[in-house]
Amino acid sequence: MVVQVWLYFYCICLWRCFKFIVRKLTGRCELQRICYKNKPGAGRTLKLESSLKSSKSKLLQSAVAVHPEAIEKTIEDILTLKKVNVDTNPQLAVSLQACLLQIVGYRNLTVEVEKLRREAYDSDNPQHEEMLLTLWKMLKPGVPLEARVSKQWCEIGFQGDDPKTDFRGMGLLGLYNLAKISKMEWEMKKFDKAIGYSFAIVGINITDLAYNLLISGALKTHLYNVAPEAPSLHHFQQTFCFLMHEFHKFWIEEDPVDIMEFNRVRNKFHKRILKQLQKTDMALCPHFAASESLVNV
Amino acid sequence: MAGAAAAAVNRLGSAGSRMESVSRQSRTGPGGAVKVLECGVCEDVFTLQGDKVPRLLLCGHTVCHDCLTRLPLHGRAIRCPFDRQVTELGDSGVWGLKKNFALLELLERLQNGASGQSGSSEESVGGYGESIVRCDEDEAHVASVYCTVCATHLCADCSLHTHSTKTLAKHRRVPLADKPYEKTLCTQHQVHAIEFVCLEDACQTSPLMCCVCKEYGKHQGHKHAVLETEASQIRASILDMAHCIRSFTEEISEYSRKLTGIVQQIEGGEQIVEDGIGMAHTEHVPGTAENARSCVRAYFSDLHETLCRQEEMALSVVDAHVREQLIWLRQQQENMTILLSEVSTACLHCEKALQQDDCRVVLAKQEITRLLETLQKQQQQFTELADHIQIDASIPVTFTKDNRVHIGPKMEIRVVTLGLDGAGKTTILFKLKQDEFMQPIPTIGFNVETVEYKNLKFTIWDVGGKHKLRPLWKHYYLNTQAVVFVIDSSHRDRVTEAHSELAKLLTEKELRDALLLIFANKQDVAGALSVEEMTELLSLHKLCCGRSWYIQGCDARSGMGLYDGLDWLSRQLVAAGVLDVA
Repeated sequence: MVVQVWLYFYCICLWRCFKFIVRKLTGRCELQRICYKNKPGAGRTLKLESSLKSSKSKLLQSAVAVHPEAIEKTIEDILTLKKVNVDTNPQLAVSLQACLLQIVGYRNLTVEVEKLRREAYDSDNPQHEEMLLTLWKMLKPGVPLEARVSKQWCEIGFQGDDPKTDFRGMGLLGLYNLAKISKMEWEMKKFDKAIGYSFAIVGINITDLAYNLLISGALKTHLYNVAPEAPSLHHFQQTFCFLMHEFHKFWIEEDPVDIMEFNRVRNKFHKRILKQLQKTDMALCPHFAASESLVNV
Repeated sequence: MAGAAAAAVNRLGSAGSRMESVSRQSRTGPGGAVKVLECGVCEDVFTLQGDKVPRLLLCGHTVCHDCLTRLPLHGRAIRCPFDRQVTELGDSGVWGLKKNFALLELLERLQNGASGQSGSSEESVGGYGESIVRCDEDEAHVASVYCTVCATHLCADCSLHTHSTKTLAKHRRVPLADKPYEKTLCTQHQVHAIEFVCLEDACQTSPLMCCVCKEYGKHQGHKHAVLETEASQIRASILDMAHCIRSFTEEISEYSRKLTGIVQQIEGGEQIVEDGIGMAHTEHVPGTAENARSCVRAYFSDLHETLCRQEEMALSVVDAHVREQLIWLRQQQENMTILLSEVSTACLHCEKALQQDDCRVVLAKQEITRLLETLQKQQQQFTELADHIQIDASIPVTFTKDNRVHIGPKMEIRVVTLGLDGAGKTTILFKLKQDEFMQPIPTIGFNVETVEYKNLKFTIWDVGGKHKLRPLWKHYYLNTQAVVFVIDSSHRDRVTEAHSELAKLLTEKELRDALLLIFANKQDVAGALSVEEMTELLSLHKLCCGRSWYIQGCDARSGMGLYDGLDWLSRQLVAAGVLDVA
């Protein structure tokens, strides 16, 4: 343990020394080197982010948490601080700005998602109610809902008579995601049969999965690759839809005996996704129809 | 009157025809009471012993011994003179018939009563002895006839003698038994016989009256009735009463017979049983007391046996553990010896190499390095081994409630967490596991985690509460020692649903012996049902009758109450007093 801590500090010092020497030799700062060496996308943004975070300069450290509107100003400050000649390196400012936009965007997305998740479903809020009823109409077109609290909700995979209770963990985020996926051309019937008619709670579970990926930062790879500018809730929902789709495929591949194996399959799926996200040039949904427009970074 | 009643008891069988004789007897007054219990055949008074002892026939009639001996025999049986019913006689003949003890007792009592009560009539009765009427002519003779004109009792001789004259010979003499009753005379008007009875309430103390009393005396103008009709009415009512008494005696004797029977059933004992060929032999019939005792003995011997078996099993478990442990230790010992010898050989080699000349040392270098390498490897293995395994001579022993022995620091217990959707099963599980509050999302399928607490290792299966999943709960029942049922106390509307699910659970065969821990979750929510209210609403005392159960209020968010529930479980699973071994 002691050895490891020592090694860690040593590495940092050594890394600083190395940076200093390289800077003197090439005349380029670390940010420049990263930007020139890496293609735009997750590879560049991730490296830049870690570089900024481990920087000893307060300005660079705070840059990752800056307000989106103050980004341009921050870039100027950084360039001045690093004494980079803007005229000779016209590309650098643009690259830096794009990266920083993504980093800040991801942070804000996290906050936004968290806020949505914390907002509990409220039966007295007409907006919430309307969204829920729309969800029913989308999933069961032509079948009228008999009552707000009804056994019919089980048909689309809620646990009880009142869907409200199932949103306790994921809040409105779950409802938004379900609404989103129900709007897409989704082979509901096929999906339903495969996971034992539990569409809604599977959706909420996958929402949890996506949420955990987002909070842990694992989704950065994907989002930085997918969103050329700041990733937004829209991207998160696309990711969710893709995860649902993938999970469905994965479920069929695994061919479990019954619904009881859900958690095992889910954990396996989670591990697989995590593994995929470790590759920096990886975007989760390259061939996913819904996000085609976004893949071409 | 008591005498008349007693007589009626005896002769109700032929009551109608005997009416006359009864009335005749009753008129003899209290002094004649002892004479009224008479045989229906010979009309002789029963006696406590001797020829006139009353004996019972199978039909229930009572006849005196004397008459019985005179009855014609039909093979080995006699017929009742009253209703011709057959009574089988044993080897001892008439002597074998039971005496009518109820009657005998009555007789005895009457005799005693009569001698005490009738002081005044003592003279009249006592003078003549019990049933003998003396001749009026000569005290030495016994009267046999009665002269209705002279109103005298006479013996046959004296009758002839006194009525020898022509006039007197015309006197009507009747046998003493048919003697007409004397007319009682009015106390006030000595010449008039009593003919009427006064019906006024005020005169009930002395209701008798003659014609003078009726017309002019103190009963003038009173309501009245003729003496004979009044008397016959009273007789009829007495007859009724006698009937009642008779049935009452029957009831009592029936009851006492029953009591005897029950006593015999309880005590058991020898009983004469006839076998197929008619040979009677005694056989021991066990009484209920004996049965109960043997039942208790059987139960405890069974218990004893089970305990012995359990003890043997537990000992064998310990033996196996000790054997295994010893084998392993010996193996290790051997390994160590081998290692030691290897090390010493290596040392020897090194020493040898040292003593050799330079050239040879150089040549041996490779070999020595190889040797040292293996040595190093072995040393590493050894330290790893020593790190991993603590050598400990202790054998920690724990006992479960069902007397199984468990060796080792942790006892494993399988628990299933069930409940409606949204009750907080998964939250409780992860709170116990990682002490953190998880975002509650609907559980699809199940979660399984092990939680260690004290010296117990709970394997908790948390199964989703969704409607469609509930039928699948039963796959998790097998070998489950405890069920944790979680209820959302803040959701009053769903308590009924929880109740029906719980009731369904309790009927499961696999969960018959499982402990039941009920978590009334979400106690932190304002307006949540308290544990007492919940117990009441679910009628737990009735529902969980006959199994060990416990309800614990808890709050999965803060973890309040969860460990109290586990405490209860561990107390139930582990035999008392050994919980703190580890």
